[in-house]
Amino acid sequence: MLLFRSEEHVERSGTPAGAFMSADQIWGLADAWYHDRDDPQWRRRNLEESQKVFDDLGLKGDFWNLG
Amino acid sequence: MDTAGVNQVRLHVLRTAMDGHGVPSASQTATALGIGEEQAVEGYRQLAEGHVYVLEPGDPTRLRMANPFSAVPTAHEVKARGKTFFGNCIWDACGIVSLLGGTGEVRTQCPDCGDPMTLAMADRKLIRKEGVVHFSVPSAHLWDDIIFT
Repeated sequence: MLLFRSEEHVERSGTPAGAFMSADQIWGLADAWYHDRDDPQWRRRNLEESQKVFDDLGLKGDFWNLG
Repeated sequence: MDTAGVNQVRLHVLRTAMDGHGVPSASQTATALGIGEEQAVEGYRQLAEGHVYVLEPGDPTRLRMANPFSAVPTAHEVKARGKTFFGNCIWDACGIVSLLGGTGEVRTQCPDCGDPMTLAMADRKLIRKEGVVHFSVPSAHLWDDIIFT
């Protein structure tokens, strides 16, 4: 997962096709994913919980399907 | 090693990295926790098996990733709490800022043109943003080869 200047820079670099997300989405994903990682009660999310994090950020469709 | 022991190892590794001391080896973790090195290695193995951390390839006594932290320098540098950290990718680099309270900067370079790029956060709000994030690997396969991912 890399931050590029723009979608044109991704194409120009020859990077294999994939999917994009915005800076706001990556921050939202990271904050939801990691903010509580140092809680002693933390446990890994199950599939449904993880998918909800993606869904809530508007990351829907086959590429973002964790199952 | 039981679940509580593995969690103790997990937290020690994470908090050591959060304090800016890097990702500890199994030997260092064993000393800090007063357990045998073989127990720390077993803890690392279970954490890797559970997709919480990632072992250094070919060396079960070391971690490559104590997610979101990288044990080795990467192109994803994080400045937070007056210290420098490295994330495994842009997701994890942002995750370090989140874990450290939500204020900091992620510095990287566009892989195409090499331009420096910065994301900055304050009080859990994104206050400086640029660029687009590209995922090469579909979400269902992120852990197939996590070091590549």
